[in-house]
Amino acid sequence: MKGYIGKILIVDLTTGIFEEQKVEDEVYENLLSGVGLGAYTLYKNIPKGADPLGPDNMLGFVSGLLTGTGSVMTGRWMVVCKSPLTGGWGDSNCGGTFSPAIKQCGYDGIFFKGISVFPVYLYVDNRGAELRDASYLWGKDAVETEDILEKENWNNKKPAIAVIGTSSEKKSLISGICNDRGRIAARSGVGAVMGSKRLKAVVLAGSKPIKCHDPKTVKKYSKEFSKKIKKTNMPQIMTGRMLPLMGKALTIPKNIIPIDGIVSASMMKKWGTGFGNTMGMYNGDDPIKNWAGSVVDYDKSYYNNVNPDKVLKREYKKYHCYSCVIGCGGVCDIKGIGNGEFTHTHKPEYETVNAFGALLMNKDLESIFYINELLNRAGMDSISAGNTIAYAIECYENGLITKDDTDGLELTWGNAEAIVELVKRMIARQGFGDVLADGVKVAVKKIGEETSKYAMHAGGQEPGMHDPRMDPALGVHYSADPTPGRHTVGAFGYYNYMHLWTKVSWVPKLKLSTPKKVEFEASDRNGIITMANSCIKQILDGSGGCLFAMISGVHNWKIFEWLNAATGWDKTPDEYMIIGKRMQTLRQMFNIREGINPIDFKIKDRIAGRPPLKEGPLKGKTLPIEGMIQKHWEHFGWNPETGVPTEETIEELGLDELLNN
Amino acid sequence: MEKKKPIINYKECMACGICVQACPFSCIDFVKINVNKDKKAYPELINNGRCTGCGICSKECPVEAIELR
Ligand code: SF4
Ligand code: SF4
Ligand code: SF4
Repeated sequence: MKGYIGKILIVDLTTGIFEEQKVEDEVYENLLSGVGLGAYTLYKNIPKGADPLGPDNMLGFVSGLLTGTGSVMTGRWMVVCKSPLTGGWGDSNCGGTFSPAIKQCGYDGIFFKGISVFPVYLYVDNRGAELRDASYLWGKDAVETEDILEKENWNNKKPAIAVIGTSSEKKSLISGICNDRGRIAARSGVGAVMGSKRLKAVVLAGSKPIKCHDPKTVKKYSKEFSKKIKKTNMPQIMTGRMLPLMGKALTIPKNIIPIDGIVSASMMKKWGTGFGNTMGMYNGDDPIKNWAGSVVDYDKSYYNNVNPDKVLKREYKKYHCYSCVIGCGGVCDIKGIGNGEFTHTHKPEYETVNAFGALLMNKDLESIFYINELLNRAGMDSISAGNTIAYAIECYENGLITKDDTDGLELTWGNAEAIVELVKRMIARQGFGDVLADGVKVAVKKIGEETSKYAMHAGGQEPGMHDPRMDPALGVHYSADPTPGRHTVGAFGYYNYMHLWTKVSWVPKLKLSTPKKVEFEASDRNGIITMANSCIKQILDGSGGCLFAMISGVHNWKIFEWLNAATGWDKTPDEYMIIGKRMQTLRQMFNIREGINPIDFKIKDRIAGRPPLKEGPLKGKTLPIEGMIQKHWEHFGWNPETGVPTEETIEELGLDELLNN
Repeated sequence: MEKKKPIINYKECMACGICVQACPFSCIDFVKINVNKDKKAYPELINNGRCTGCGICSKECPVEAIELR
């Protein structure tokens, strides 16, 4: 009765052999489940120097410790593997219904090694697991495949299905793994790893109960939180037109204003992540014109066409991940767009709208809806694809590539038709599309080093659509995390919302008197905050929690209390933070073993404000990125110059012992 | 004795889908759209015949919105 199952399944795709392994309680107590369990399993099983697309790499699907225990907004699952994009640790997080389904099959994680000779899919239900021929599905997109597999395998229970689209079959390094017809674990190139294994899908139809130590207490907190969410609503009069004003207003105060994160839920309930698409133009959060522009360029004449209210016009119902009480997702009607090929698509997220809108100076919202569905079906990461196309456009506009290189496409800013066509060619790996299909880092290698200045990435991973020149903590997390380029790890903004100081003894409380400019310093204060952000994010990824629940605040969404009630442990929040530190350190150790030099993950100069922008809300902003990274690593107990975890830290966290058992 | 059936109270229901996933026979699905004028898809018993009245859905609901009657 512990919240977790205590078992994993390992499938060898080369031999077809299944192995059920018991996992000791000690592993969960030190690393939780989810990414922690994944990191433990992969660190022990992937040989050093393994080819990410070869048989020695392992691909794991892990559930969260809290998933299915009666807690809410804890239904996210994670993919783990060695990343072909960065050459180091890889993981990616996704919603839908797949996380509980893993546990309902009797496992906390399902891991694959080897490579199958022909395409296969894994089927698991209460009776056991089997590999089945998937040759007839190879070449089909993610949605078609899910439809077919659901029909074929819906016996007692509707199965949960994770599947790769065509771009993962073609091993695009910016491809991910899809479920629920449009949710995608998109980052770290996890789709390419699944494609390289010829594993088309994983179909889970188990219905075993998920046990919990103290369901009554878990539910008590779920009820409390649900009530708060129910009550938190945007006033009717608040329309999307006011979002730019709100963005502007946010830039006025010179001091940090502490905010209760629960307010974010009202925006999420109304628009989903999309509220940032206009608000962020004015506070500087949204990268524009390949990170070199501002709202002065992408002005009203553009965002009048691309904004959250316009997106909502097509939304006909909301979409929730399993156990979510907010429901930031939606399903949109897209009949009549792009030759009427598709009837509906998941509501394009903020990230997608910005990556194919402002980042490319595109004002054609219909093209964004269409691209959203193309990418979801192919299983390609919209953040990476958008950044890569932005790079190509800037190369074209500056004469570094011409129509001869682009196979005749006129890659100018905002040319929606050319952008759609290029997306199609990237998915098909056709001509110039093939040059871009593996992300910006590979594209620079193919096109030429002189184009590197336009390629925005951190260690090979294209960054999310949130600008560190607005929130410098983002720059640290983009650069210093074992999985670089992630906007989901942390930010000063998230820290403000989360109210960690109400639970954790050693983190600084935000005060009204703190001037905003302290966020631009390489200080101990900031090192402690970014370190704490990373720790809590790891706890989240071990639990299956959603980031949007997290930023509603740990005083509202009681992750620490849930973990104790679900497992029967009696740990303090400080002790959980050590687990987070241990998980993060283990992921970094994985990178070091693979020969990664952590400082190579530093974000590109342009994104750190070198040179600073000349206009817009981020005018003149530069962050002392190197110093901030050093402070971050120092507070982790890693060598501040090199980012290598010190022996003392590894010993103190007990990782040497744990990994040698 | 007649089998009991799950009845969902939409004033309490958060549309979280825990019951949908918990039912061993997928008898409940998100078919009621917009009962609370919020564009949310709410769950409802769709397969009366297969429902065994086991009560798992009701037990799992985090806000006690399902009653077996
Ligand atoms: S807030 Fe959005 S992403 Fe998070 S669990 Fe809910 S629906 Fe999923
Ligand atoms: S009572 Fe049992 S069978 Fe009927 S809907 Fe609920 S969980 Fe399903
Ligand atoms: S579990 Fe309860 S709150 Fe969640 S959808 Fe079902 S009835 Fe509604």
